[in-house]
Amino acid sequence: MSFRQFRKIRLRDFRCFREQQAARLAPLTLLVGENSTGKTSFLAAAQAVWDAAHGSGAPDFRKAPFDLGAFPEIVHSRGGHANSPGSFAIGFTELILEERLLDFEVTFESRDAAPTPATTEWRDGAMVVGYHRAQGESARYVFESPNGSWYHSVSADDRMFEGLWITGFFSRLHHAAADDDPMSLIDDLEPSPVTPGSVPSPEDIAEFSFLSGLFTRTPSQAPPFASAPIHPSPLRTYDPTKLSSDPWGADVPSRFANLQFQHKAEWTALKEKLDAFGRESGLFDDFSVKQLTSVEGGPFQLQVRKFGKRGRKGPRRNLMDVGFGVSQVLPALAALFRADGPPMFLLQQPELHLHPSAQAALGSLFCRTAEAGRQLIVETHSEYIVDRVRMDIRDRQTSLTPDDVSILFFERADHDVRIHSLRFDEQGNIVGAPDGYGQFFMDEVRRSVGL
Amino acid sequence: MCGIVDANVANEVFGEDCSPAGGRFFDWIASPRGQLVVGGELRRELSRDHRFVRWLGSAIRYGRARAIPDEAVEERADDLRRRDICKSDDEHVLALAIASGARLLYTNDNLLMDDFRNGNIVPGPPGKIYTTRDRKDFRPAHRKLLGMRNLCRAPEHG
Repeated sequence: MSFRQFRKIRLRDFRCFREQQAARLAPLTLLVGENSTGKTSFLAAAQAVWDAAHGSGAPDFRKAPFDLGAFPEIVHSRGGHANSPGSFAIGFTELILEERLLDFEVTFESRDAAPTPATTEWRDGAMVVGYHRAQGESARYVFESPNGSWYHSVSADDRMFEGLWITGFFSRLHHAAADDDPMSLIDDLEPSPVTPGSVPSPEDIAEFSFLSGLFTRTPSQAPPFASAPIHPSPLRTYDPTKLSSDPWGADVPSRFANLQFQHKAEWTALKEKLDAFGRESGLFDDFSVKQLTSVEGGPFQLQVRKFGKRGRKGPRRNLMDVGFGVSQVLPALAALFRADGPPMFLLQQPELHLHPSAQAALGSLFCRTAEAGRQLIVETHSEYIVDRVRMDIRDRQTSLTPDDVSILFFERADHDVRIHSLRFDEQGNIVGAPDGYGQFFMDEVRRSVGL
Repeated sequence: MCGIVDANVANEVFGEDCSPAGGRFFDWIASPRGQLVVGGELRRELSRDHRFVRWLGSAIRYGRARAIPDEAVEERADDLRRRDICKSDDEHVLALAIASGARLLYTNDNLLMDDFRNGNIVPGPPGKIYTTRDRKDFRPAHRKLLGMRNLCRAPEHG
């Protein structure tokens, strides 16, 4: 199965990223660098720009788990708000239909201190469909091709649907493309003064129709799964009626119980995956849901157990009574193992509280998840995750190739941050590392071994 | 820029009592200016020192060292043996230079030096030798070598 995937993210005047920067994204992208170098902001940018392109309405920069605050906190600061630019921009290049690379970009301005899209554009080379709503100007759709440019002023009717992107005009545009009838749009489109034709050519209309369709979310495009690194304390006993989901995985225990009670085949498949990862990581050998009553909807507990020598089964232990690592990683595992899981994962330090062997196992799991056509962007401080991915590629333990993995190194440069796009070669060597990459670790190991 | 350390001087670079020139060579490969290449038999020889192994793991992880596939090195070493053109018995070191593109070699072996400079064995611009055969101190010639910027050709492996 293959989904649309980001291939690049571009940032300008966003948080600590001042100059326009483009970062290469791959099916598996690892974000590395010191604290406070914008890795989490980068994840937030990915979530926001995804929402801007595929969601409904303007993205919410306070959406959990990445609360970036209001416009003044998000726009790049150049020493005092008076010196801050009036806008910031986030864009991406997306691979769709396994062959076409399209660009999307949204520029945000401040409206009552909230970041609000001023221009939103899809681009396919020189072909552009955009929505412009700059401060003090009326909103309009913009269409550009090598043959000219046209715009459509947003009508009162369209305004009712602003943010949903499905406007009456888009509908007429799609019909004009399907009927090969550009003239049906003559009352809708205003050509720019230098554009020779009153309406675009049939070929231009077809491309405009295609690009405008991208503003609409398709059924296969579930929103990204975004996780936070801090997970609330596990409970000794859960109430299965609490199904509200959040980035901390509050719904995961209830979902497990529900699957076990109502969808046994699904639960068996999920449990096999959980147990396999538990064994690979050394976290546990057996994961189970213990129903405390025989009726559906009763309280339940989550339990794990380890096997001893010659497979002798140890006691089942409540999640509360084992290390915090298991409950910390469980929401991410639950999302990664879902057959109907989202096509994109934005994971913030999933290695927290985990032993290095479990961190390394996560690296292999990320490779397997990316192999299945899903995209992962993982912020991590774990050498073990990065190293496991590197070794799995080198040793052909994964079908991912070096091009399928991107290492983004966030390096502080004075008050700004520069993103370096690194990659592995076939032998697992790192390519494109700047001078500062890993310097701390190299100094530490040198001191450690006494060289 | 990338370089090779022959096993006969490994102790000068990675040992507990490294020489002044060896220490400066290590500083160079540990810095962003230099890079160690390893592969094949030479990697196995150097890996007898556990301190080197620990350092190498991090060095590869952070791009301070580059691993060349053993097969690529051994294939070229076999080719050199078949051609029987080397004065030294260090075909594995010469093969690593060919496969990796490295053109700086730290060695005190006279025969290997001759082979490394021989364009019929290691093609392209003549390889440069970093040696402490006569003196262990860090000399201007050493400094000049570590300041050079054209000691790495495009690798031939893969």
